Amino acid sequence: MAETKKYNKMGSLQPNIDDILDWNALPENAFEPATESEKESFIQERENVSYWKDAWRRLKKNTVAMVALVVIILLALFAFAGPQIVPYSYKEQIRGSETLDPWHYTLEDKQKINDYIEEHSGSKVLSAEEAIEQARAEAEAKGEKLSKVEEAKIRASANVSQQSAEETAMTADQAAKELGIKTKMFGYSDRELQRMAEGEKVFPHVFGTDDQGRDIMVRVMVGARVSIIVGICAAILVLIIGAVYGSISGYCGGMVDTVMQRIVEIIYSIPEMLIILLLSATLKPALEQFQNSGDGVMQSLVTLLGPNLISMFIAFGLLYWVTMSRIIRGQILQLKQQEYVTAARALGAKGSRIIGRHLLPNCVGQIVTTTFLQIPSAIFLESFLSFVGVGVSAPLTSLGSMCSEALSGLTSYPYRLFIPALILSVLILSLNLFGDGLRDALDPRLKK
Amino acid sequence: MTKYMVRRVVMAFVTLTVVACTTFFLMNAIPGNPWLSEKTPTQATIDALNAKYGLDQPLIIQLGKYLGNLVQGDFGTSIKMQKNRPVLQIILEMFPVSAKVGILAILWAVVVGVPLGCLAAFKRGTWVDSFLRIVCTIGISMPGFVVATLLLHTLCGGIAGLKLFPALFDGTPGSYVLPCLALGFYPMCYLSRQTRTAMLDSINQEYIKTARAKGLKNSVIIFKHALRNALIPVITYLGPQVAFTLCGGLVVETVFSIPGLGRYFIQSIQNRDYPLIMGTTIFLAAFIIVMNLLVDVCYKIVDPRINLTRGN
Repeated sequence: MAETKKYNKMGSLQPNIDDILDWNALPENAFEPATESEKESFIQERENVSYWKDAWRRLKKNTVAMVALVVIILLALFAFAGPQIVPYSYKEQIRGSETLDPWHYTLEDKQKINDYIEEHSGSKVLSAEEAIEQARAEAEAKGEKLSKVEEAKIRASANVSQQSAEETAMTADQAAKELGIKTKMFGYSDRELQRMAEGEKVFPHVFGTDDQGRDIMVRVMVGARVSIIVGICAAILVLIIGAVYGSISGYCGGMVDTVMQRIVEIIYSIPEMLIILLLSATLKPALEQFQNSGDGVMQSLVTLLGPNLISMFIAFGLLYWVTMSRIIRGQILQLKQQEYVTAARALGAKGSRIIGRHLLPNCVGQIVTTTFLQIPSAIFLESFLSFVGVGVSAPLTSLGSMCSEALSGLTSYPYRLFIPALILSVLILSLNLFGDGLRDALDPRLKK
Repeated sequence: MTKYMVRRVVMAFVTLTVVACTTFFLMNAIPGNPWLSEKTPTQATIDALNAKYGLDQPLIIQLGKYLGNLVQGDFGTSIKMQKNRPVLQIILEMFPVSAKVGILAILWAVVVGVPLGCLAAFKRGTWVDSFLRIVCTIGISMPGFVVATLLLHTLCGGIAGLKLFPALFDGTPGSYVLPCLALGFYPMCYLSRQTRTAMLDSINQEYIKTARAKGLKNSVIIFKHALRNALIPVITYLGPQVAFTLCGGLVVETVFSIPGLGRYFIQSIQNRDYPLIMGTTIFLAAFIIVMNLLVDVCYKIVDPRINLTRGN
């Protein structure tokens, strides 16, 4: 058959008649039913890709965003699971472990350092009482008695020599340097080292402790938890207020829109920092009063979260919804011209149904991105307020208030400021990066 | 244009009134009174003091009186912090310090941030771009107090031999450097990110191709055509940022102990010095509103196509 085939001229558009005739001459076994596995794979290949799956697929390709996501998850674990693992609590004052550095010398090394210091600062300097005791013993051996005047003289000279010795004495750090002793990781107090030597297991103070003997790591964990909670709650609050306000303003249009936008303009030009400072100063006592007024569900909710936190995200929610409402209004203004809205209206749908079922789901990408990017900005604001001193108050702590506490001892204990500051910055950074990635994934048109 | 300006000025006054009323009711809702000190005064003393400063009247009347005085330019007198000194006098004494730091900060942010943004846009995809992007993203993720304390720790004696600047603010030019650096760092990073995006946007426009086709020099294309159009979103951001820097400067003021208005405002809240709280808020709000107005006028100069009268 192949030999008899006549090919058309090169470049001819005419089909080859012989070939077409052959098409119908199929053998009996040309088709066979698909096997079960083939059917399955066929369905799998054609699985439909939803909006979210598509976005996730794009997001997965974005390395920076994925790294940021991992960091966020790690920080969330650190903040929420951490305090369960560490046996100390954030307000527990551990006796005997005040002002520990996040490093320690082993007991043997400490002994060596002490010996070294003693060696190099000459004879061991006696304290005043010891000197008197010694002199008294000497006097008694000679059979004399020490007079009050002599006692005072000895005391004065001992004090002077002690002072000068303190001035010239080398510090433990210098001694350790000269001996070549290296510090070990984590902070332990002497007592804890003793207990460890006895074979007991002691959880280390990884970041050291503060002046009152509170473990800094637990405080950082709790502070990060406060920051994350504030961020998420504030973002949800902003989302609700902004979405409702913006969609009503955009959907109704006309006079309603004009009035609502004038209000937005006014709020936009209010110095928000000042009002937030005032608001949180006002709301905190009011909420504390409410908390003590009874024991309903709302009161226990306030107790659970703490009046400080609630006042903070009320302040945030009241002023920061403006941006969200503007974005949603802009989207709705565009979307409400679409045919499906006209169709829904023709079917007799109410405004609330059109907004809820047709308009808002269509700008979900924008909404999710904006909401997510509110979280770092809320954390930013919370740390600012806590730093200034109107945020969360003792005994609860936040990263901002830890930084503010550490400011006074900055030269001696710089790590007390830099640890919370670092965690805060990393948290905000990764939230920002992930938010940017989310925007690119959810709204690819925006990507340039 | 005139109609627009009139509308804006009217809106500005409405906003100021709203700010004044909000502040008034908020600060009166804070528990406590200005007379609390180490020694708790007797009720009779408190009553006498309240009567003297008119705090015994209903809130509405107090507010009305205050607004009436305000229209005549009278901000009242301080009742606690600097007793019986006119509030306006205190503000005018404090504000220049804050303003100097704030303006210098914004200035360096613009002078460095905008060119960096342009550089990143032109070197798109190279290591310069990536490096700038990393620096700027880190910059907008660091709260002001972190930057401020970091600078304070490293450059004011924290590291041996590196004591370049005084740690405490004393009004000398050297002591302005660190506060301005710290305050301007965030706006600098933000501005350079914005400029980069806007620049990329405008480079891809048709008129740039036309300009190139005409045979214009590269520098003319960049500065006269691309940058001028890229500046619009930058200016939009600058208005609120100037305001934010002047108010948000209070963190830097706390860290460097600058006797500025922001720090004083917090102290006046803590002391319940009502006239001072009102005065500071209204003063700063007015300042912000004027700034926003100026920015909108700047729009018109940079881009004459923008039609101000037809809403925003």
